[in-house]
Amino acid sequence: MGLLPDQIPWWIAGPLLGLLVVGLFAVSNQPLGASGAYVQTMKTVRGDSDSVSWRVFYFVGIFIGGAVATILGPGVSIRTGYTALHAAGWSELAIVVVVLLGAIVMGYGARVAGGCTSGHGICGTAQRSPSSWAATATFMAAAVVVTFLLTSFTALGDISPAVPK
Amino acid sequence: MNLVGLLFGAMFGFVLAAGQLHDYDTIHATLRLESFYVFGLMGLAIGISLPLLWILERRQITTTFGGPLSLSRSKIEKHHIYGGALFGAGWSIAGTCPAPALAMLASGATYGAVAVVGLFIGLWIRDRQLEAANHAIREGDGERSTLPHTKTLGAR
Repeated sequence: MGLLPDQIPWWIAGPLLGLLVVGLFAVSNQPLGASGAYVQTMKTVRGDSDSVSWRVFYFVGIFIGGAVATILGPGVSIRTGYTALHAAGWSELAIVVVVLLGAIVMGYGARVAGGCTSGHGICGTAQRSPSSWAATATFMAAAVVVTFLLTSFTALGDISPAVPK
Repeated sequence: MNLVGLLFGAMFGFVLAAGQLHDYDTIHATLRLESFYVFGLMGLAIGISLPLLWILERRQITTTFGGPLSLSRSKIEKHHIYGGALFGAGWSIAGTCPAPALAMLASGATYGAVAVVGLFIGLWIRDRQLEAANHAIREGDGERSTLPHTKTLGAR
């Protein structure tokens, strides 16, 4: 609907996320993480007795919030979401397989490390947790290295991503 | 607490989508070191929340639903490093991470569903692995959902 810009600047989104982190700690003593919400949602679906229900509501909330911001901003557009991979000439099957495998590695790694970009990367570091700082430094470095390899050895290197301001 | 979870999830997803953090190009422009967007965003988020949490901790505040505020600080162990390395690799390859993948799907990007399914499979594999080895599944500092004194949190 264009009520929001397509992309709000990082110096607005960053502090907003920071305040949300503090807010959730102040209200519930819990981190504003995401991988934990996946874990609890999976446990709930499986019917485990020790699942934590509010994390499932939180999981659904992330989806709803994402939809609302999209509707108020650029509007919902049905697409695959991997324009760069299409432009690099990858087939549909290749993209699905690569994204699926990447996500499996990511989910596995998050569970081994005990958090993801939000859980360790923002909430854990903000709690001044040594393990979170170590995990965050490692995943940042690993992501930059793997991106370098992807752009060096695949056709992705010929595609320039739109650079956000 | 369920309503609190829904609201905070919604605000979280809202900010992620408003910042296009669910967008492949936003993530990859940063990981290619061509943009400062994600680094700046995470840095400012930490820069705001770290000192505020420190103050709240020193004041020993009691949280609304979770008892006295207790931040967790775990020592560095090997699994934080190799788990982090795997996570970082997957983050780059899939071009999205757990919360943005949900916002991605919500914005109409259909392959966001592939990423969400993959994430569930990856987490599931790890839990099965630990179960098979009879290892207790511990929650990391980034994924904790229950605390010893908030065991009934989920039931509220």
